[in-house]
Amino acid sequence: MVVKKSLFWAFVYAALVFMLFFNLIPFFWMTSSSLKSDYEVIDYPPTILPEKVTFGAYTRMWSQEQFFRYFINSIIVSSSTAFLSSLVGVFAAYGFSRFFFWGRTSLMTIFLASQMIPGVLLVGPYFKLLSYVELYDTLTGLILSQTTITLPFSIWMLKGYVDTVSDEIDQAAMVDGASRLRICLSIVLPNILPGLVATIIFAFLLSWGDLLWALCLISDQTKQTMTLGITQLVGQFRVQWSEIMAATVIVTIVPATLYLLLQRYLIKGFTEGAVKQ
Amino acid sequence: MRIRENHKGYFFIFPAFLFLVGILGFPAIAAVLQSFNLIWVKNPSFSTASYHRLLSDVEFLATLGNTVIFVGLVVGFHLIIGLGVALLLNLEIRSRHFFRVIAILPWTVPDVIGGLIWRFMFDTLPGMINAMLLQFAIISDPIDWLGHPKLAFGCLIFAETWRGYPFAMLILLAGLQAIPKEQYEAAEIDGASKFKSFIYITLPNLKYMVIIAAVLDTIWESRLFGMIYSMTGGGPGYSSQVLSLLTYKHYFLFFNTSYAGAIAVVLAIFMFTISIPYLVMTMKRE
Amino acid sequence: MKKLHIKLAHFLMLALALLFFTHSVAIAESVTISYSDWQLAQDIWGRSLREAIAEFERMNPDIKVKTEPIALGQRDVKFTTAIRGGKGPDVFALDANPVKQYIKEGWVKDLTPFIEKTGDSEWLADFYPVSLMPVTEDGKTYGIPKNVVAMVLVYNSEMFKKAGIQSPPKTWKEFRDIAKKLTIDTDGDGKIDQWGATLVLAKACFDLRFSVVLRGHGGDFLTADWEHSNLNSPEAKEAFNMVADMILKDKSMPPGVAQVDCNGARRLMAHKKVGMIFGTMWTITEVAGMNPDLHGWKVLEMAPVPQQEGSQSKIRSTLYQKSLFMNPNTKHPEAAWKLIEFLTAKKQMEKWFVDNNMLSCRKSVNDGFGPILQSKYAAIVTEEIDQHAAFLPLMPKWPECLETFRQSLQAAVAGTKEPDQALMDAHNQIEAILGR
Repeated sequence: MVVKKSLFWAFVYAALVFMLFFNLIPFFWMTSSSLKSDYEVIDYPPTILPEKVTFGAYTRMWSQEQFFRYFINSIIVSSSTAFLSSLVGVFAAYGFSRFFFWGRTSLMTIFLASQMIPGVLLVGPYFKLLSYVELYDTLTGLILSQTTITLPFSIWMLKGYVDTVSDEIDQAAMVDGASRLRICLSIVLPNILPGLVATIIFAFLLSWGDLLWALCLISDQTKQTMTLGITQLVGQFRVQWSEIMAATVIVTIVPATLYLLLQRYLIKGFTEGAVKQ
Repeated sequence: MRIRENHKGYFFIFPAFLFLVGILGFPAIAAVLQSFNLIWVKNPSFSTASYHRLLSDVEFLATLGNTVIFVGLVVGFHLIIGLGVALLLNLEIRSRHFFRVIAILPWTVPDVIGGLIWRFMFDTLPGMINAMLLQFAIISDPIDWLGHPKLAFGCLIFAETWRGYPFAMLILLAGLQAIPKEQYEAAEIDGASKFKSFIYITLPNLKYMVIIAAVLDTIWESRLFGMIYSMTGGGPGYSSQVLSLLTYKHYFLFFNTSYAGAIAVVLAIFMFTISIPYLVMTMKRE
Repeated sequence: MKKLHIKLAHFLMLALALLFFTHSVAIAESVTISYSDWQLAQDIWGRSLREAIAEFERMNPDIKVKTEPIALGQRDVKFTTAIRGGKGPDVFALDANPVKQYIKEGWVKDLTPFIEKTGDSEWLADFYPVSLMPVTEDGKTYGIPKNVVAMVLVYNSEMFKKAGIQSPPKTWKEFRDIAKKLTIDTDGDGKIDQWGATLVLAKACFDLRFSVVLRGHGGDFLTADWEHSNLNSPEAKEAFNMVADMILKDKSMPPGVAQVDCNGARRLMAHKKVGMIFGTMWTITEVAGMNPDLHGWKVLEMAPVPQQEGSQSKIRSTLYQKSLFMNPNTKHPEAAWKLIEFLTAKKQMEKWFVDNNMLSCRKSVNDGFGPILQSKYAAIVTEEIDQHAAFLPLMPKWPECLETFRQSLQAAVAGTKEPDQALMDAHNQIEAILGR
């Protein structure tokens, strides 16, 4: 029995280490490349570790390229999108989960189907719509468009989690005189905290990685997002690999940090505590 | 004025409705109309010419096949690896916070950038994959990963599996967390093995999360564009091209807006068809 | 009491006068126009353009220019979406490829009235007639040419000397032989690490560089009237087969050539991995800049594109041109015209050469400017522009035809199709596209 148990844990740790390597190898390459000189990064035969570590790519990026501003823009846009998408999503998820109104199935299907048309075709008409309401070239317009893209996923994800919370809790609270809105926000929401956190992270990442909408809906360079900024390092004459890698390292640190901060909410114990209150 | 209980649902879904149908609806319908040559063209007239062209277009049919294979394999891998890693991370290990952050890292890379990085890694001369293989003497000549049609497609599938599996993992992990501990405790008391409790407790409880993850991932991978565009551009030839890329080409590069619309409609139908069995299953539950 | 009324009246009149004055000053206040160009995103070109624009703003204090850099690959997506939607940059740059499509869709403004307003009936005469071709339609001028170059052979003279090669190849047979001679193992470790040449087969910049191989053989993608595919000609077959053979049989091109784009080709040249590539003026600047050890400005030489023995065809090279256009949605056409005029004026053309080694579309500049006359590279390229180069087909369906051809070539190189078969397939597909 003891042997079986320790074999099990050995397997678990081995698997985790394997996952670590699998996940991290590209990041290792990114970081290593970002520390190489422009010449070394595209040399053949390639070096795995930089022969001479240089932070030139990072300094160039921050000083020349307005990357700090792009960074702030991305944070603003993605956080707002995550927040808005999750909020609207929770309401919609609750609505679909608890109520059986006419058109429910059709609407659910339409909501899901709404994302099946590729962004390529949507961006043009969407652009016209935004300029009509004077939101073209604004971060607000971008936030709205990205909320729209992330919304179907948010709703479907959240609905799954809301479904796991039994309706009886709602009924009990209604007997006590609570309104549906109150139930949604104060009772159901805390119970689906892991799912909600997953959804927030998900919406944040979707928005963080968006290129097409940021490209077309923003023309002012100072309002660009970081992802867009990185792709612009692929120029007509030169691909600045070390800078691309440096920028990518920074771009991935933010969501990683976000996840680090939020991940304790993914733990079950925390939710059980909330319910008991 | 008491509102019928069920009608309260309308209020809850209204904001989402505004966003989705109000804002997205117009462009979506416009795209469909455009594919039938009905709007934004010089001589609007209902015509299925674009759709006829699809049937005889070798590139389109090959691309359609590629899309099916790509989505099928990638989503499959995502679910399997995602479930495996979620199970690992659900265990009460001391360093699980650390591993959880590592686990999500591939997904934090924007898909366009991910494509660039993997292209760089698979690059024949300065790329890391060849560097490592040459270093450990596994091969003696650099392999042209992205220059051979089937190899390039395989590399693409590998890269997207890497990038996207945390999505499934996250959904499933949150689902695992929602399984009441009591069920496991009861099973342990009854003397069930870990394997048995996995089959009879974990999987059934996860069923709906797996379905949701599968449906969402399928839609997401069917629409994937940036990753493929930066990594292989659909090449060599069109061996790694998927429908989203073809739509982009026809819309922005060749300016065949009506044809692009038709391809997009086919893509939408494809996504919809795949989702139907799952939709039916989730709806049946209610 | 009366005194107060008068004081009030005086005060009101003063206020009104002040208001009127500031209002008229406000009217004369600056206008802001936007200028979008992918070269704004580059180091050297970007600085050069910004300097010129600063000068423009000094000369025109009532005009402010907002620069909007953009990545080349994203340019058309961004421009077409914006212009379709009624917005977009006031002035923007395009190369020759999509211009006819932009004209067809009405995405560029007709500049003929502005040219007429200058009062100079010879205003366009200073530009090469061939430069005006891409930007003119139905006798109307839609854009003003800025820079033009022709593709030539760029080779590493040091590598040539080491291999005992006296002069650059004049024929394709020589080209192939030299490439074989240069494919060697330089450090004695048994592995080949230097190759004779490389082509560009990836999407970016494929058109410019491959077309010279076709044209040098005396063939071309399309017939002269752009109505039919010319790929079934024996010349096209020879060119196609030569490339396939060089890659698959001679192996005189580096592995992974199917994925090499123009950046990759320059990178290989800079790192002394290949001896010959097809390039032009900017190739020297970029390659030399990538690797100081190469001493590019000394070592890199240019030669005209090789041709077939006894070839009658005059055209062997392809033109690349960058021109400036005005957005039909612009709210400040006069200011936009001033900017276009300024950036394509003789003085700025000279600046573009000094800063960026780029030739002008103005005859007077290429034929008269000191530094250009002294440059060994300019001598070769101007000759090509004048006599031996033509644009790729300037018509809306061209991008699709080109992509079809490129995919066929990649299939042939990857070995999934026999070269002749791949060529025939491309020919048929292009016929189908043109026939639509």
